[in-house]
Amino acid sequence: MKILIIEDEPSLRELIERALVNEGYVVESAADYIAAETKVAGYNYDCILLDIMLPGGSGLDILKRLRDMSRRENVIIISARDSVDDRVAGLELGADDYLPKPFHMSELVARVRSVLRRGKTGGQLTIDMGNISLDPASRIVTIAGSRVELLKKEFDVLLYFMQRPNHLVDKVVLAEAVWGDYADESDNFHFVYAQIKNLRRKLDEAGADIMIRSVYGFGYKLTLSDKE
Amino acid sequence: MKLTTRILLVLTAWLLPLMVLWATFFCYTLTREINAEVDEALEEYASLIKDRCCEGRQLPALNSGSNNSYTLQPVEEHVARRYLEPMFRDEEVYIPEKGEDEPARVMTVAFQDGEGRYLLLELATPTFEKDDLIETVLWSLVSLFAILIIVVIVVATLSMRRTLQPLYALLKWLDGYIPGSRHVCVPNDTDITELRKLNEAAQSAVDRSEAMFDAQKQFIGNASHELQTPLAVISNRVEHLINYTNPTEQQLEELVKIDHSLRHSIRLNRTLLQLARIDSGEVAASEDVDLVPILEEVVESCNEIYAAKGMKCVVTADEHLYIYVSESLARILILNLVKNAFVHGMEGSVIEVRLGDGMLKVSNVGDKPLDGARLFDRFYTFASHEAGTGTGLGLAIVKSICDHYGYNVRYGYAVQHHTFTVEFN
Repeated sequence: MKILIIEDEPSLRELIERALVNEGYVVESAADYIAAETKVAGYNYDCILLDIMLPGGSGLDILKRLRDMSRRENVIIISARDSVDDRVAGLELGADDYLPKPFHMSELVARVRSVLRRGKTGGQLTIDMGNISLDPASRIVTIAGSRVELLKKEFDVLLYFMQRPNHLVDKVVLAEAVWGDYADESDNFHFVYAQIKNLRRKLDEAGADIMIRSVYGFGYKLTLSDKE
Repeated sequence: MKLTTRILLVLTAWLLPLMVLWATFFCYTLTREINAEVDEALEEYASLIKDRCCEGRQLPALNSGSNNSYTLQPVEEHVARRYLEPMFRDEEVYIPEKGEDEPARVMTVAFQDGEGRYLLLELATPTFEKDDLIETVLWSLVSLFAILIIVVIVVATLSMRRTLQPLYALLKWLDGYIPGSRHVCVPNDTDITELRKLNEAAQSAVDRSEAMFDAQKQFIGNASHELQTPLAVISNRVEHLINYTNPTEQQLEELVKIDHSLRHSIRLNRTLLQLARIDSGEVAASEDVDLVPILEEVVESCNEIYAAKGMKCVVTADEHLYIYVSESLARILILNLVKNAFVHGMEGSVIEVRLGDGMLKVSNVGDKPLDGARLFDRFYTFASHEAGTGTGLGLAIVKSICDHYGYNVRYGYAVQHHTFTVEFN
């Protein structure tokens, strides 16, 4: 899988490169409009991460060129200009996703994975780990082939973990990701514990071979069970 | 104090002592004039009696009806010498015909008759009641004063209303002025020089403050925008440290704490950016949005998240309430108000939310009123909540959204309840 990063901020570019290389992708990068245009014209990529404000031009023009050439690359716009108009313009031009800065690398990696999966399987979007399979679109979870009923929040929590396997997930971050703006002023995380507890019980009962580990009391990590 | 009231008070302060002075002078002069007349009449009468007495002719009756009366009696020379010059005084005299005392002017004079005897003549003539006079004068003055004041009020009010019309127009304009909202110019159609100058001064002050307001808004917007990338970079480096460098537990704990602070900064920054966008009108398109399901969802989530506080949220809502608004902003508005009640409410208390009749009301228990004037300011936090994790921007966002759409938002405190009301009209 080959990914092109078009981003002018060196520090951010380096971080994205590192995160994607860690995930096993082949990564190339471009720092300005001219370099980006050259790369896009000369090579094919599976996914392009595109910043909009570039030295020498607008990322939206690159997107337009790609579409004019009927290229099928997946494009994720990463931009600090988190305004509605930009988002709409980008998606109308055929971008697959829009990720406003500042974002977390795990979020970016999850989006890249999701976009690539969508491109590859033509709509079949399940995320798999161990004997568990999760379909974000239809919100169906199956463990060892049989369906497991999860409540809305349980599903959201599991999805968040499945998108970040083996990553430490801080409970505050999880709360913010799943409960959104509601949770940002809470200093009590009982509601997170409660969901995790229920989710663990359901995973256990269904015989899942993945588990949510607690890490030092402030976070969780989704890993394969080490029963065997 | 209103300008007219002020002018009337000043007028009164000057007129009142002036009236008193004039009343005193008037009473004094009037009394003196009347006394002079009466005394002259008495002197004439006395000389008539003296003449008749000296010539040994028939004297007038001692008492002519209720009018003049006199007594004539012989006195020693030494007594008479004291009265050679006539002396006048005011006295109450008993009038037998009337059977009562009447005020009278009394003249005492001594003279020698034809035979060289000393006689003391005491003449009395009824005169006016001094008290009555003063009272009458007082009353007429009071009514004069009242009439004067009324006339002054009417004239002053009428003329001022006409003359100061441009001033009131300016005041009305200033009342309706909201900094940052593009306004029409200060009205200036007067030919009174001072008022023209005042209007021009107001216009230039407003222009200046508008320019500063814009610059400030732009600065906040730009600053938050520029901060986004570095914040993201730091946050991601921390994330990398956490996940790929096998930190010890202690290191991990520190890293997670750094991450929490960073997230707080990022959230602050994002909220400031959001505020800047709303203030500059960069808002998603409006549509007809039903607030009721949004409210229900918000309350459900808050109930879940703040379950540990044991609070109960009672919602009374109409079946539907459609308003023309951007859905995401409507959600932020409702969320911030409801969350505010949960975050600052007392444990175990009840939050009442009412949605209907074109308004949203959120009230929760509180022991003392908040500073309603500063409540919607950015970063205003109350003493009890200094250590919170909030951004201190929730209510500022509410205010910005309401200002953007022209909703009326207000805070009130009654019977130990804080109530926030938003009117969507």
